[in-house]
Amino acid sequence: MFLLIAPSVALLLLIHGFPLLDAFRQSLHDGTLINTGSFVGIQNYTDNLTSEVFWKAASFTLVFTVVGVFGSWAVGLGLALLLRTRIPARGVFKVLLLLPWVVPIVVSSTAINWLVATSSSPIPQLFETLGLGQPLFLADPFWARILVCVFKVWISFPFMMMMSSAALASVDNSVYEAARVDGATGWQQLRWVTLPIVARSTYISWILMTIFCVNDFPTIFLLTGGGPIDATNSLVVLAYRLVFQNQQVGEGVSVAFIMTSVLVVISTLLYRQIRKAAH
Amino acid sequence: MGAGPWLRFVLMLAIVAITLVPIGVVLFLAFTPSAASASSGGFTMENFSSVFATSDVLLWLQNSLLVTLGTVFVSVAVAAPAGYVLSRGRSRAVSGYSLMLFVFQSLPVITSVIPLFILFAKIGLVDSLLGLTIVYVASSMAVATWMMAAYMDSIPISLEEAAWIDGASMFRGFVQIVLRNSLPGVLSTAIFTFLVAWNDYLVAIVFLRSAVAFTLPVGIQSFFQQNTTDWGSVMAIAVVMLIPPVAVFVLLNKYFSVGGIGGSLAGQ
Repeated sequence: MFLLIAPSVALLLLIHGFPLLDAFRQSLHDGTLINTGSFVGIQNYTDNLTSEVFWKAASFTLVFTVVGVFGSWAVGLGLALLLRTRIPARGVFKVLLLLPWVVPIVVSSTAINWLVATSSSPIPQLFETLGLGQPLFLADPFWARILVCVFKVWISFPFMMMMSSAALASVDNSVYEAARVDGATGWQQLRWVTLPIVARSTYISWILMTIFCVNDFPTIFLLTGGGPIDATNSLVVLAYRLVFQNQQVGEGVSVAFIMTSVLVVISTLLYRQIRKAAH
Repeated sequence: MGAGPWLRFVLMLAIVAITLVPIGVVLFLAFTPSAASASSGGFTMENFSSVFATSDVLLWLQNSLLVTLGTVFVSVAVAAPAGYVLSRGRSRAVSGYSLMLFVFQSLPVITSVIPLFILFAKIGLVDSLLGLTIVYVASSMAVATWMMAAYMDSIPISLEEAAWIDGASMFRGFVQIVLRNSLPGVLSTAIFTFLVAWNDYLVAIVFLRSAVAFTLPVGIQSFFQQNTTDWGSVMAIAVVMLIPPVAVFVLLNKYFSVGGIGGSLAGQ
């Protein structure tokens, strides 16, 4: 049995375990990608925790994650419910709706970029026609945030749709008949029958999506690069920019490490919760 | 059929149409002549011919395919036995392993990428497709293992028990009974790891520094120039990037299931 997981454990320790220790060491130094630099203790951590940019990135990460998780869940669940009903060509729709998740983000972000880049691009023009002004999606902090969040929901809802479909497949239709006999409306059936039955799977999909959102890099970086004026800077993007654009390895790694320690604690607790809920 | 299904059909059609706008944009621009070209309006293949003639897109395509297929094979080879242990094992060590998978999965890739970049630079794995493959295998490991375990959970253990009674070793029971019956699980895992490796951007931009080693997501970036992006060329490469994952998914999607990972994560 040990031999069967040995390759997996070895790889995990080499690619995740070792770098984790090394990252911690780096976060205590002021080095660059080439030099280790000198030991500075917890200087990088205090620098980050007292910097405005860090907290701005932390709060945007939170917004991005909350919108990403619940937005993609609501859309995904809605579509999964719709796809349970009788619809001509349902199978084709099901596959087409998964495409946003399948297409490389480099490709879809390029398309979005073309759609919104300047005031004469199609989406700003559409807004103009509807009398909503001509928002500059990549230059206006408010609109850039909305754009990035909507893009994340677009990428992620298919995953939530698949998770929801799988959970809904186990729901026996006779429970709905019982609810209907009792006079429950469609909304009440959803709230008091469907959601409780799929609760455990919903909970797990939220946790997975939270991890995907917090750690997301390309969705934000490819669209806005974290701008304008750091409006869409998330912690991962901040860490990347500090290391690879500013050459401040220690500071960048310590951002990643602050995230990591928070995530380890949260994920261990959540993992216990999942296990408890399951038994 | 009554009116209901057709009303929902129209609604669904509208939703799908809006959802697929970005993909439509890619296809539209890729087959539209660029403003500078002689032919105007209508359908054209010239973006493709010019991109293939003037850039290294074929090399990038080859690199992407090599890295992706390598990742798929190694991931399945490592995740299948590990998934088996996760599916059948009930010891403390197995729970510990399972927790380790979950914790590593939840860490930002960027944390490990920076030290790995420095380590790989020392041993010549930066700018190398092998180095990239190793990182992809590791970063898709947790989900791949859960997927394999989820499928193996559906194979009754009584089959292996019968084989063990006949004197088969645990390893033989795994290979001859479970693995042979796990094709849908293997395909599901293969599709997932294919998408991880093919679609990755972060690891590729960190590790790939010279044009000969570029994969498509990095290569396409070299077409973006300040203010003067040549959209026709960019979108032609985007179409090249789009075809493999979409083809794999459309052909094999009936085997693809993420629903099970919840179950194996919860240890059921």
